[in-house]
Amino acid sequence: MNTRDAKEILLLYRGTTDDSDPQFRAALDYAKSDPELGQWLREQTKCYDTIRTKLRGIEPPLGLSEKIVRSRPIPFPRIWSRVLQLAAAIVISASVTVLLMKWSERRNHSVAGAQEILVTGEVLDMTCYIAYNLSGPDHAECARVCIRNGLPVGIKAQDGKVYLLSGEPGHSVNAELADYAAKTVTIKGRQSVRDGFAQLQVEEIRKL
Amino acid sequence: MSADLEFENLVNLYYRDLYRFGLSLTGSEADAADLTQETFYIWANKGHQLQKAASVKGWLFTTLHREFLKTCRRRNRFSNESIDEGAEGLPNVPADCAERVDSRTLLRVLGEIAEDFRAPLVLYYMEDLSYKEIADVLALPLGTVQSRIARAKIQLLRRLSETNLPLEQTK
Repeated sequence: MNTRDAKEILLLYRGTTDDSDPQFRAALDYAKSDPELGQWLREQTKCYDTIRTKLRGIEPPLGLSEKIVRSRPIPFPRIWSRVLQLAAAIVISASVTVLLMKWSERRNHSVAGAQEILVTGEVLDMTCYIAYNLSGPDHAECARVCIRNGLPVGIKAQDGKVYLLSGEPGHSVNAELADYAAKTVTIKGRQSVRDGFAQLQVEEIRKL
Repeated sequence: MSADLEFENLVNLYYRDLYRFGLSLTGSEADAADLTQETFYIWANKGHQLQKAASVKGWLFTTLHREFLKTCRRRNRFSNESIDEGAEGLPNVPADCAERVDSRTLLRVLGEIAEDFRAPLVLYYMEDLSYKEIADVLALPLGTVQSRIARAKIQLLRRLSETNLPLEQTK
């Protein structure tokens, strides 16, 4: 090591801060044997201390620390177990909702599980019957045409109860029933009731 | 210790150092105060992620420096300018060159040094951080940090010796 090498190393030397840093050890030892280098090192260290003191003498604006403390945001640490619990709850809720919707949809379109009954009575053109109280042999031709053309068809049981007749979801029974308009038949089907209105999903038509 | 008290103690312990670091980076008192405040707010939200309590100081300085770099990018005035190779060489300056300037002038002269070199130089002068810690704060290799400090120090001392100011003005 020569003086120039030692100076290059000691340019970074900060005194006590770097005393334990091994990278300066050899250069410091060298400076002890070179009075000129030793003097240079003392001046450099003094210059470092002066600059450090001046920089560290800069004071922050009054009230800065109070402002920081006062405006401290409320921390919101994310606890992942809670996040996972929340995610699981959302997934379960969504699944239950979907299942309920599916069940409700199926319930609306099918009477599976409804009670199977036999109803004997007159086949009605429901529009004319409800709107104008028309039924019986005098109205047979009109009822046949209306039923054939797709207007709602029903049956009035012997006890006076009226059922709306329907087929499987998506299938009409009008064509099969049109020829029985105003006639008495027995229908086997599944009964369901909504809002007090009775419906019979036709499974079999028996002529009397 | 309550979280509020812990936060207050942390602020009181480090806000001066962080403010000075911010001031030397930005040259603006308002920007330095904002950077300091933002750094503590980030701590309030993310500090719990820090595993080692001993590295709090380094974490705070790293955060402030990152926030400063973000600000630089937003303002599109980030400089990668390097110090002239001509500035290399060992300084032969009077030992009292720094005594002739006040803190404000010292900050102005520091501000004339490229940011890439200024940040390590400021940490070198102001904080009792090892070179490894300075490298960690700035996310730079140790050799790069030492090289930048050496070159920036030469530049600073040369500029101070060229600054022909009257002796010690009021701080």
